Amino acid sequence: MPSICFYFQVHQPFRIKNYSFFDIGNDHFYEDDEKNRVVLNKVSEKCYLKTNQKMLSLIRKHKGKFRISYSLSGTVIEQLEIYRPDVLQSFVDLAETGCVEFLAETYYHSLSYIYSKEEFTRQVKMHAEKIQKYFKQKPKVFRNTELIFNNELASFIEKMGYKGILCEGVDRILNGRSPNHVYQPKGTSKIKALLKNYRLSDDIAFRFSDVNWTEFPLTADKYASWVHKIAGNGEVLNLFMDYETFGEHQWESTGIFDFLEHLPAEIMKHKDFNFLTPSEVIDKYPVRDTYDVKDFTSWADAERDLSAWLSNSMEQEAIQRIYSLEEKVLATGDADMISTWGKFQTSDHFYYMCTKFWSDGDVHKYFSPYDSPYDAYIYYMNAFSDFEASINDFKPKKVPAKKNSKKLVAAIEPVAPVKRKK
Amino acid sequence: MSKNEPKILMLGWEFPPVINGGLGVACHDLCIALSKHAKVTMVIPKTYPEFTIENLNLIGLNTIDARTLRNISYRNDYKNLEEVHYVPSRLNPYYSDHHAVEHLPEIKSKYLTPVEMGDETAEVFTIDDLYGGDVIEKVTVFGKLTAKLALTLDFDIIHAHDWMTMAAGMEIKARTGKPLVMHIHSLEVDRGGEASKGWVYQMEKKGMEYADVLMPVSNFTANVIHQHYGIGKHKIFPVHNGIRPVKAYKGKKRFKEKVVLFVGRLTRQKGPEFFLEIASRVLEVRQDVRFVMAGTGDAFHRLLEKSSYKHIGNRFHLTGFLNLEKVHEMLSIADVYCMPSVSEPFGLSAVEAAQFGVPVVLSKQSGAAEVMKGSLTFDFWDINRASEYIIRLLDDDVLRDKVVADANKDLESISWDLSADKVMDGYRKYKLYME
Repeated sequence: MPSICFYFQVHQPFRIKNYSFFDIGNDHFYEDDEKNRVVLNKVSEKCYLKTNQKMLSLIRKHKGKFRISYSLSGTVIEQLEIYRPDVLQSFVDLAETGCVEFLAETYYHSLSYIYSKEEFTRQVKMHAEKIQKYFKQKPKVFRNTELIFNNELASFIEKMGYKGILCEGVDRILNGRSPNHVYQPKGTSKIKALLKNYRLSDDIAFRFSDVNWTEFPLTADKYASWVHKIAGNGEVLNLFMDYETFGEHQWESTGIFDFLEHLPAEIMKHKDFNFLTPSEVIDKYPVRDTYDVKDFTSWADAERDLSAWLSNSMEQEAIQRIYSLEEKVLATGDADMISTWGKFQTSDHFYYMCTKFWSDGDVHKYFSPYDSPYDAYIYYMNAFSDFEASINDFKPKKVPAKKNSKKLVAAIEPVAPVKRKK
Repeated sequence: MSKNEPKILMLGWEFPPVINGGLGVACHDLCIALSKHAKVTMVIPKTYPEFTIENLNLIGLNTIDARTLRNISYRNDYKNLEEVHYVPSRLNPYYSDHHAVEHLPEIKSKYLTPVEMGDETAEVFTIDDLYGGDVIEKVTVFGKLTAKLALTLDFDIIHAHDWMTMAAGMEIKARTGKPLVMHIHSLEVDRGGEASKGWVYQMEKKGMEYADVLMPVSNFTANVIHQHYGIGKHKIFPVHNGIRPVKAYKGKKRFKEKVVLFVGRLTRQKGPEFFLEIASRVLEVRQDVRFVMAGTGDAFHRLLEKSSYKHIGNRFHLTGFLNLEKVHEMLSIADVYCMPSVSEPFGLSAVEAAQFGVPVVLSKQSGAAEVMKGSLTFDFWDINRASEYIIRLLDDDVLRDKVVADANKDLESISWDLSADKVMDGYRKYKLYME
């Protein structure tokens, strides 16, 4: 009985403003508040609210048979707390149906695993606490930033107590095998890997509204007929994509919401097919083979490697600089400083600095708030220079110990309580 | 003034209010200083109705009907054609009659565009930017049209600035027999290197050979003219640039590190990559310095990539283009100014730094080194020497004070009035007009 496993990535970075050389030493606030608010509001209206509503109605309509999963980064949750508690509430509503699983990731949607295992661990824990707090579930399955993955990471995550990990089904590693089974990462003992079926995922995420695509227009029954083809030679179909696919990357006018509305029913017309969350897939299906990833893979760009973030010297310099501060930042014990440092680690900053052009460069450009990768680097490094100076000059605030510790807690979880809708 | 004032027909390309680099400012300031000694008519590609200068007859070819040479005045911005109206008028007091030009052939070019004015139409010289598009065509049409116009003007001396106006200068000399002075602010071999022998080089060589007197902005450039263009020294008469007085001030720096500053176009000629090497060398020894490059150019991206590759991204800053106010702000907080130009006819920015009391470390391959006699100089490729000077200046207050004091003395003999005097000396020396 093949299962469809949907996972949607929900993430927004704290974009850095056009921080000039003249701001160094003058301005210790690096975020582009206005832009972050505007983008979040836009995406909330076009995607999050509408799609959440749609998902909720589908879950109700199919009486628990339609099941999905999300990964929300810590930064998007922080932004929702500040700007859109209504959207955060709509995710809470989804959690309460019992049909939605929330996955673990790094709090800052960072590349920390590559640069600091300690920081990585800190962020995964911090994120799990945040998820527990809002969605009342302890994440059991981990997905790393942009599905960055290798054997070593799988082992590391296994030791942290996770039973599953998501990754890209990369052709060169599958080597002719199907991504539609549960695999065991090489070198692990229990943890299972779910591999993204990028063809069927990208049919929705990227090609849905492409008029030059031979399959255009894509309808729910046509798509379901492709899904049904895996019957007999696959057990799980992992459809992983950015949540913004719905309404933002594919605008409402493309018919994406109608497609979504009809998809579950079309797929379940075939009695053998059902929907499961990642944890349920892992519990239900046995491991069929080993997935052996020595070098890092990811879901980004045509290369499916780390080159979207770490292929040029600017990206390398920026990211090495920010991780070089780890010891000093943590030593301050200052919640604001630590939080700022965390936001500097968000992978999007390095993605904006990517100079790979050709077709992938277009995607980088689409998402970038800056005119060029060089601008992205300049603003980042200027802001970094100011932050570095602040860290070097840091003197603990002289406040009574009791008050100080209270502030620390408050700053780690700057929570605007979510109001229940009546 | 009791003596006869010469009448100068100046030919310019860059001119305020549109500023591309130092050339526009230099032409402008020289014109103003010179107009105290001479009657100056300046012809440039484009003027703006709101931008006029006292005692200077400024003519933009965008206000001249290419066929009739009548002057067209624009009430509003030129782009807004509905607002265009014209006033047939005499261009200046030295205007002669138009009959002399009537037999000249009509000029055809994509850079001459018709302008509707009620019942009549005019054709005016229209270029959106000075150096884009078909610049050879632009320069050629400018030359033909200016030459035609010159036949209606009264003047003693043609004074052209750089290669863009050389075609015009030569054409006018050919038609009028008036002496031609070429003011050399920058040459193709400065900009493109010794191997640059293309169209611009050929134009420069032809123009300088044809000219009666050359006025390069430095001895350095005089040598380049002699060495790379084979022009005899007898007709080369260097005139150092002046500098605008400025209200210098000391700004408040908001960070602890010292600042080593570069201002200029990020292009081969200015040696930006040597600045990067110098930065890298100094930062090996000490971390308390920020190297800042203000300006933009074709090397911008390469510099960023190289600086990040060298892991000095947190101490090496590119600001992009800065307006004058921001450049002054940078100068007001700079601890050392470094100009590593590979081939710099003058190098106004080094003098500006001195005005702000910033000690200057500059390449010997520059005109500024001739007038800033007390500055610390190095061969542009000598990164070690430049780095040592910079470190010494950052550490050694005695040296620093000495360099600044010397520069202040040097500044006393740098002004546009002195430059204009020198130009007049040149006119007289070569007997270009009747005194």
